[in-house]
Amino acid sequence: MKNYKILAAVVIISICMLTACKKDFLKETVYSKFTPEALNDSLAFEAGIVGLQSQYSLWNTMNEDNNGNQGFLCVWQMGTDVAYNKAPDDLDPVSIPYTNYEKLNSANGAAAFVWKWAYNIINNSNVVIANIDNPAIKLGANFRNKIKAQAMFYRALAYHYLVTLYGSVPLITKPLTAPKTDFVRAPVKDINDLIVADLTFAKVNAPAIDQLVAQSLPNKSMASQLLAEVYLRIGGKDAEAEAECNTIINSGDFSLVTERYGVKASQPGDPFADMFIYGNQRRSQGNKEAIWVEETENPASVPNGAGPDLQSKFPGYRFLGSQHRRVWGSRYYNTPGMLLCDTLGGRGISRMALTYFVLNLYGANDMRNSKYNLRRKYYYNDPSSPNYGQLVAGPGIDTNRNIVPKTNKWDQFDPNDTFGSSMIKDFIIMRLGETYLLKAEAQFKQGNKGGAAETINVLRTRAKAATVNAGMITMDFILDERARELIAEENRRMTLMRTGTLLQRVTGRGLKITGISSRNLLLPIPQSEIDLNKDAKLEQNPGY
Amino acid sequence: MTKEAVVGASIKVKNASAGTISDAQGMFKIDVPNDAVLEISSIGYKSVEVRANFDQTMQISMISVNRALSEVVVVGYGTAKRSDVTGSVSSLPKDRLSQLPVGDVLQAMQGAVAGVNISTGTAVPGESPSVLVRGVNTINGQTAPLIVIDGIPFENGSLSDISTSDVASVDVLKDVSATAIYGTRGANGVILITTKRGKTGKAAINFNTYAGFENFAHTLKPMGPAEYVKKYADWKEQAGVTNDFVVPNLYEQQNYAAGITTDWLKEIQQQGFIQDHTLSISGGNEDVKYYVSGDYFSEKGVLLGYQNKRASIRSNIDAKITSYLSAGVNLNLVSNNSDGGRASLTLASDVSPYGRFKNPDGTYAIFPMQGEQAIQSPMLGTLNNRNSRRQNVITNVYVELKPFKDFKYRVNAGYTYTPTLFQNYQGRLAGDIAGGTAAVVNSESKKWIVENILSFEKNWNKNHIDFTGLYSAQENKLFSSTINASGFINDALQFNNLQGANTISASSEAISTQMVSQMLRVNYNYDSKYLFTATARRDGYSAFGANTSKYGLFPSVALGWNISNESFMKNVSFINNLKLRGSYGLSGNQSAVDPTSTISTFTTISIPSNGHPTTGVIADILGNKDLKWESTYGSNIGIDFTILNNRIAGTIETYNTRTKNLVLYRALPSATGYSQVVTNVGKVSNQGLEVSLRTQNIVGNNFKWETNLNFSTNSNKIVDLYGDKKDDIGNRFFIGHPVNIVYDYKLQGVWKVGENPANQDPNATPGDLKFADIDGNKTITSDGKDQTIIGQEIPKWTGGITNTFHYKNFHLNIFIQTVQGVTKNNDAINFKDFGGRQNLPSGLGYWTVANQSDTRPKLTYVNYLNYGYPEDASYTRIKDVTLSYSMPKALLDKWKLGGLTVYLSGRNLATFTKWYGWDPEVGYGITGDTQGNYPLVRTFILGANITLR
Repeated sequence: MKNYKILAAVVIISICMLTACKKDFLKETVYSKFTPEALNDSLAFEAGIVGLQSQYSLWNTMNEDNNGNQGFLCVWQMGTDVAYNKAPDDLDPVSIPYTNYEKLNSANGAAAFVWKWAYNIINNSNVVIANIDNPAIKLGANFRNKIKAQAMFYRALAYHYLVTLYGSVPLITKPLTAPKTDFVRAPVKDINDLIVADLTFAKVNAPAIDQLVAQSLPNKSMASQLLAEVYLRIGGKDAEAEAECNTIINSGDFSLVTERYGVKASQPGDPFADMFIYGNQRRSQGNKEAIWVEETENPASVPNGAGPDLQSKFPGYRFLGSQHRRVWGSRYYNTPGMLLCDTLGGRGISRMALTYFVLNLYGANDMRNSKYNLRRKYYYNDPSSPNYGQLVAGPGIDTNRNIVPKTNKWDQFDPNDTFGSSMIKDFIIMRLGETYLLKAEAQFKQGNKGGAAETINVLRTRAKAATVNAGMITMDFILDERARELIAEENRRMTLMRTGTLLQRVTGRGLKITGISSRNLLLPIPQSEIDLNKDAKLEQNPGY
Repeated sequence: MTKEAVVGASIKVKNASAGTISDAQGMFKIDVPNDAVLEISSIGYKSVEVRANFDQTMQISMISVNRALSEVVVVGYGTAKRSDVTGSVSSLPKDRLSQLPVGDVLQAMQGAVAGVNISTGTAVPGESPSVLVRGVNTINGQTAPLIVIDGIPFENGSLSDISTSDVASVDVLKDVSATAIYGTRGANGVILITTKRGKTGKAAINFNTYAGFENFAHTLKPMGPAEYVKKYADWKEQAGVTNDFVVPNLYEQQNYAAGITTDWLKEIQQQGFIQDHTLSISGGNEDVKYYVSGDYFSEKGVLLGYQNKRASIRSNIDAKITSYLSAGVNLNLVSNNSDGGRASLTLASDVSPYGRFKNPDGTYAIFPMQGEQAIQSPMLGTLNNRNSRRQNVITNVYVELKPFKDFKYRVNAGYTYTPTLFQNYQGRLAGDIAGGTAAVVNSESKKWIVENILSFEKNWNKNHIDFTGLYSAQENKLFSSTINASGFINDALQFNNLQGANTISASSEAISTQMVSQMLRVNYNYDSKYLFTATARRDGYSAFGANTSKYGLFPSVALGWNISNESFMKNVSFINNLKLRGSYGLSGNQSAVDPTSTISTFTTISIPSNGHPTTGVIADILGNKDLKWESTYGSNIGIDFTILNNRIAGTIETYNTRTKNLVLYRALPSATGYSQVVTNVGKVSNQGLEVSLRTQNIVGNNFKWETNLNFSTNSNKIVDLYGDKKDDIGNRFFIGHPVNIVYDYKLQGVWKVGENPANQDPNATPGDLKFADIDGNKTITSDGKDQTIIGQEIPKWTGGITNTFHYKNFHLNIFIQTVQGVTKNNDAINFKDFGGRQNLPSGLGYWTVANQSDTRPKLTYVNYLNYGYPEDASYTRIKDVTLSYSMPKALLDKWKLGGLTVYLSGRNLATFTKWYGWDPEVGYGITGDTQGNYPLVRTFILGANITLR
């Protein structure tokens, strides 16, 4: 009966083994990601705000789509009054439809990216805003308000972009816990009300700039500046807009850069140019004009220094670093006798170039037109070239594909990476210079041309340009001054769409533009968004 | 009636341990005691018992029975006689398991089994092809069948870990009733692989070896110097660019002036070489049987840096401890190595023939077309120090107990340990601009499984009944970590001194899943005429959502009728065998439910702040707590027949399945803040017909001709997606159409000079692609209304035919496969954004004013509509031809060998297709990771199978 003993032993062993599999044997555990339950303290909420800033920064660090199209940044400049398509041979379906407007359709990659970018920010802000008031999590009231204010800033910013670019859009104020496919476009007024409410809370409860540990996170002046722009867009709120600008100007936290400073202060240059030198751009580096700076570090020394890689979250796009230098910079390296170098601004590819309008916009002695800020001349710099030291013929802005006059604001050169696959330079997103321009616009719209002239003269005085008087102030003049001051910084297309001046401004100023019409005052709603929203009709904008 | 040698018959002395097997001539020698009775058995023959005759050489005849019927097939948790099988089970013809230059049993199966569609996504050495059994019944889940090796599910590593010469048989469970016993893993079919085991008798020592050469099966040549110069001139004309350059960039201009050109495709090539050597020793006695083998396989690729080496050891031991207790162990140790810095086929196709190959200092030019830095040298990858390794340690033990008559209790316990290692270092000479970049990835998969199987079998009168019961548990764990480091002092230490880097970043992932299963199967038959099978399996899986019970139940039932066993068939002499069978069942697919996808999660992300990384969190996945398995319901009707004196044997089957609760990663509107959510919503159906035929066309004394033919067709349809019978245009899913379709604009040609596009595509200019204005609104729009279904990515039908000719000791085997009704996007002709800047395939035939193509656009064409350039990818291929010669007995005796066969085999010999490109089957992509771009190779080998006495 030995076999019965063995059988009994095997059965007992296997039963033990099975009962060891307790009821929770099949319970699932997440090991390498956070669950909502794991995000339950003040550190987690602070990380939520850092997360929001990272999602905002994708606008600047989106390098190309999966088809290698790199023209996203050109979308916001060329085909307007300030820049034109310099690379007709560079077949980029993302940006070309913004200069040959007849080709703009609902499959456009830029329109799709912006939509996704904005709603991604909105969802992440909604998560923070919804959870920060959870009484089960022990947090102080001040902390709650600070976090909420910062999250609301991002949410308002995303909605402001959406309304400016698409008009009315779906309004979502709570985080999603289940799929939703029945979005409808909410009235613009409802969205504006939310934006104003969020920013009104943010400008009170967000920290002042010097209370911030991480300088790129939202401060109260950022909220005021954005609110001023929002008021100007909404209309009828020009006095409120002016008040917001005054709050910033009078805060004492900021001042225009009027003296040489920073890492190249001893080299030839001027104060305006100093602001745009890497190493000078942050407040901690002496730039007291800066209100909001997105920081970049060389990824060779700081991991993810040029921005996070988010391909999993944004399938179809690559985030390998900014294209600013490449789109604005000159492709001089492609000319025999020219070598990549620091003083020429590193490697550009002249995807777009400044229009004659911009090149002829400055009066005498305007610092913003100095050779330190706007390069118009190039000299052969390859010592082995027979032309070494001579002026490069041209640069004719229409005739030379490669060498163009260019702004120096995005100059950047890393001798270890002359190709410059990622641009290592901070992004000055808001600065006091623009506050004055917003204030002037608010004053002009209230009929206060004298005040507007006075405000603009603050900037012109800093730039050593001739001052202006009330009689010269028009909307066109303010838009001209914005170009003089903020060229390659401001999103020109959004400024013209916000002010409704896109069509009239390109007339006589824009170059190589075809097919523009009033439909282009709004972008097309992305077709994939309309298709996927299967339980309700998301109306397309007229003309697309 | 002809007579032939019975090779490999087992000869045993009754009631004793002595035994042997017959040799290639059917001869055997055995020492026996007086009055010994020999038991002789062989698959395909009726067993014989004869008294040993000491006086003279014995001549023993065996009567052939229908081979297909007496064959034993593996059906999962046991085996069955072919004649008793009620479900759809196909076996791989045994001759596909030897004498072929393949490193992977799937490559041998391609085209050879009805209903099993195998395709080679990439031909890179060491990569496994993909398998589809009876169509696609999932959208986001895995479509690969479950692989079970010697009874234990094989889920870690790749099937290329298994040496083909260790494989004794491959059986495929295809219909739902057969796969239902594998529950939530059965719906994609099950491939059951049985490895060789020892047999009673004298030790058999086998040495199988082959070696041979590999070359490109087909080349898509890039433009040569003259064609490239012409292309640039044409491009300048089309782009309106005026300059005096003959070629665009600085280095090219220098080389043009000096008359230097480079054939980049030649530079990245090397002579491919393939070899495999297996030594196996098997044998045993009544108490202990053993099969031990060692295998070495290596493939040196046709592109620089591509190679794969595999070394493996297998030991299968079975021991009979007492009359009621036996135990055994299967051990398999595998080491894979596909090290090597790899040249780039994509870049070699893109770079200018006037590009600079080497700098004056002898290093590779990083940007061969300097001036233009968008294209790097295809050679740079070869400078990388790249290691890619996978080990697999597979251990299974069993104990089998027969405590009472008719009962059997078996415990299988398995542990699999699969570590992988990837290391790469890209140095400065390889174009790295970060001062050297190193990556190290380690992963470790561990799995244990315990199965308790109780079975019972009883025969009385003409009745047969058997039960099989299972209770099993398993756990899989994965931990992987990645370290990226860059900025080293110099390139000397490569990836071995990561702490010397300026920046180091790391990431890791941990996943664990658990399963608990129960299964019961009942087989009943009466007089081998009426067959009945019923099964039920219950599977619990940890990755199912918290709102589900986590358990799914999968029942099935099947009936069979051996018509030819009926008395009324006795007189129908031309029918040797006829069987009708039918089944219905339910099986599942759990693979679409990724572990942790049922829980909403947040992920971390880093941005710089004050010069340091700062970590934030962002929402990552929208979880779904209701998520569960996909359920496939299906029926199968089959006829097995053998007619005309066993000259024609065949199977015809038709099936119909419907899968519901399809797990869809349904794309969400971006307004949700998420890209997608995973839900059980869709429904898919599959219908198909499969025919397998085996014919003996000529059976002579010296000459024989046999044909093996299979044909499969499958019709796949989406029945519903989100419960509302609406198409999902965004995801390209259309009700009533297959899952994998090509949905695109309908090409009507190219706009010619003088043609007026105003009524069709007003923005078009001559040389632009001409698309049909499907909605008739006089313009081509991107809103989906001008797009249509162009074709499907899964073939409409596939087939294979093997003709085998035997003449005396020569054997010739010719295998042809065909794949029809496939459409794929052709990336090789999609110029994307680089028209003026990169080289293009020779003979592309782009549009020019002088030579207005009907199919290819002009060079400056802008693909605003993201047209995918779909083309018909159907093909017919002479897949392999093998000529072998078995040495005659006289020579074997002289050389004192048990058997010797030498053979010559060629693979991928010719392909017939309309496809323009590298290959219609093998993928070629121009974006993303292009390391998988590798040409299909043509292989010729010389091999020998040697058996020692």
